[in-house]
Amino acid sequence: MKLSRIVVLAAAFLTMTVSLTFAEQTVIQYDCIPNYANWGGVTKAYQKKTGVVVPPDMKGSSPSMAALEAERKSPKADCAYYSGAIGFQAASKGLHESYKPKGWEKIPAALKDPNGTWWTVHTGHIAILVNTAALKGKPVPRSFADLLKPIYQGLVVYDDPRFNGTGFTFVAGINAVLGGGKDLKAGFDYLKKLDPNILKYAKENSYNELLRGEIPIWINADGNGLKAKNVDKATVEVVIPAEGTVTMPLVMGLVKGAPHREAAKKYLDWLLTGEAQLLMAESFFQPVIPVRLDASLQAKFPPKSAYAKAKVIPLGQMAAQADQIKKRWEKEIEGGR
Amino acid sequence: MRTPDSIITPAPPRGAKRLQFAPLALCAPLLLLLLVLLVWPLAHLLQQSLLLSDAPASGLTLHNFREIVLVPRYRDALLWSLELSLAVAAGSTLICLAPAWLFTRYSFPGKRLMRGILTLPMTFAGMIVGFLVVILLGRAGFIPQLLERLTGQPLLSGAGYRFPGLILAYLYFEIPRATLTLESALAKLDVRLEQAARSLGANRRQVFFWVVLPVIRPALVSTFAVTFSVSLGSFGVLLVLSLRHFSLLPLEIFTQYIAPPTDQGLAAAMSLALLGVAFGAGYGLRRVARRMEGTHA
Repeated sequence: MKLSRIVVLAAAFLTMTVSLTFAEQTVIQYDCIPNYANWGGVTKAYQKKTGVVVPPDMKGSSPSMAALEAERKSPKADCAYYSGAIGFQAASKGLHESYKPKGWEKIPAALKDPNGTWWTVHTGHIAILVNTAALKGKPVPRSFADLLKPIYQGLVVYDDPRFNGTGFTFVAGINAVLGGGKDLKAGFDYLKKLDPNILKYAKENSYNELLRGEIPIWINADGNGLKAKNVDKATVEVVIPAEGTVTMPLVMGLVKGAPHREAAKKYLDWLLTGEAQLLMAESFFQPVIPVRLDASLQAKFPPKSAYAKAKVIPLGQMAAQADQIKKRWEKEIEGGR
Repeated sequence: MRTPDSIITPAPPRGAKRLQFAPLALCAPLLLLLLVLLVWPLAHLLQQSLLLSDAPASGLTLHNFREIVLVPRYRDALLWSLELSLAVAAGSTLICLAPAWLFTRYSFPGKRLMRGILTLPMTFAGMIVGFLVVILLGRAGFIPQLLERLTGQPLLSGAGYRFPGLILAYLYFEIPRATLTLESALAKLDVRLEQAARSLGANRRQVFFWVVLPVIRPALVSTFAVTFSVSLGSFGVLLVLSLRHFSLLPLEIFTQYIAPPTDQGLAAAMSLALLGVAFGAGYGLRRVARRMEGTHA
């Protein structure tokens, strides 16, 4: 229910005001959506442990970057969370300052900037999240090709890539999954064919709508679907498409001129500890630092073989094309001509 | 032709002809506020709109304004904004005439409660109205599910994500505004006019069309103007409903400001265009309304 989100927001606002009156410490994280990668749970755990409040922030990756750009002269945020390519882009615009949080050396080299302007906190994959009850007997789609079938007309949602990093990763990555060339034609042809089946290009987080069955098929990160299935007990199935998928590192960075710099550093350190990484794993995003999962939790992840065909697209390459891909999507797909 | 102005403008009270210092001084806080809240931001917008975002040093240009007209996406967004606002303004004015009439002319049990309920949506943010439309008319909304249970057909499923759903959402939050505006105008209506018409033998319909309607026409026009300009500027509903292949100018402004690659100059030009339309429509319609008042005074 959307209402629950409103309640969450109101509660968060209340805790924020209360905490401000008691002069508690706050760390502002842009793109801190409670229903994405369980940020609601992660920040709550941090508050319980340290008393430091990290309020929710509903901006997606790209609007977070735009806000940091606009506030360059007087930054309001301490850190930001993005899907990889957008974080890379923000870092190359000089919006982050170098910081190597504790545990930095344990992050694989491909998943961090050697200077510490961004690093990965966990990884997701683009997947097809299906609310099977909402399909009302229609077969569960098993591949990206299945999604083009007319029976799924008006049932499919993916996020507007101009606003949401996950939507961007899908739009930018589908070409590679389908074996397309540098011109991204295969990818955009697919998106064009998918368009008639789309219910909407969501600008808002659609997690609750997936749970309710308002959205039967949501192309989003696998972890969010696994949480819907295992934690929120919805009739959700997570399909790793037969053609393969895209690996999506989710990255963070310390904002240049962060108003709560020291508190932010401690928070960023904590996010790489075993405790925080385990929390992220429990919400089904792959921790960047290996943690031991108990067998029952491990069994809830799709088997490793499902990800055999996952494409890893260099973040730098995606970031360099980001603006152009978004404009092309706006013109060719959203523009509808 | 008689000049209506001379009829409706009251003669200025004696001693008011020469502008004096005291009243001007008393207006100073307002003037200062206007300067800070209106003139300064507008000047800033104007400056932004006349510069290229990529090359602000290249001097003043009308490029951003030309873009709005020449790029189909932006032009369509402007036209859709106009169409939607016109439809919503006309719709809400017509729909609200009856309840406003009811509230001014009759007292009945539950009147206050009904009025309270009717004016409640005015306090809702656009996005909340959007969520309500999804719950009501979404793909698995209350109405489609009810219809499916009754007829076995998935009727109206996802109607909320199409143009009629958007109009419905806008009507929903314009209705309180229209009701309140109309109500205060109708309250000023002289009952004796109708009584006179009735005693001269006119039936109810004749009284409505030949006496009431001409008198309340200015109120209808100003209600239309208010709802039109409010609709023109809001887009929270659309942010939730995200209609495919569709946009409104305020949403384009939002996108240009917050979804990279951003273009502040273009966003500023769009803001000014929207402001121009809203101001022009509001000012023009209010003039029309005043002229009507003049001919019926």
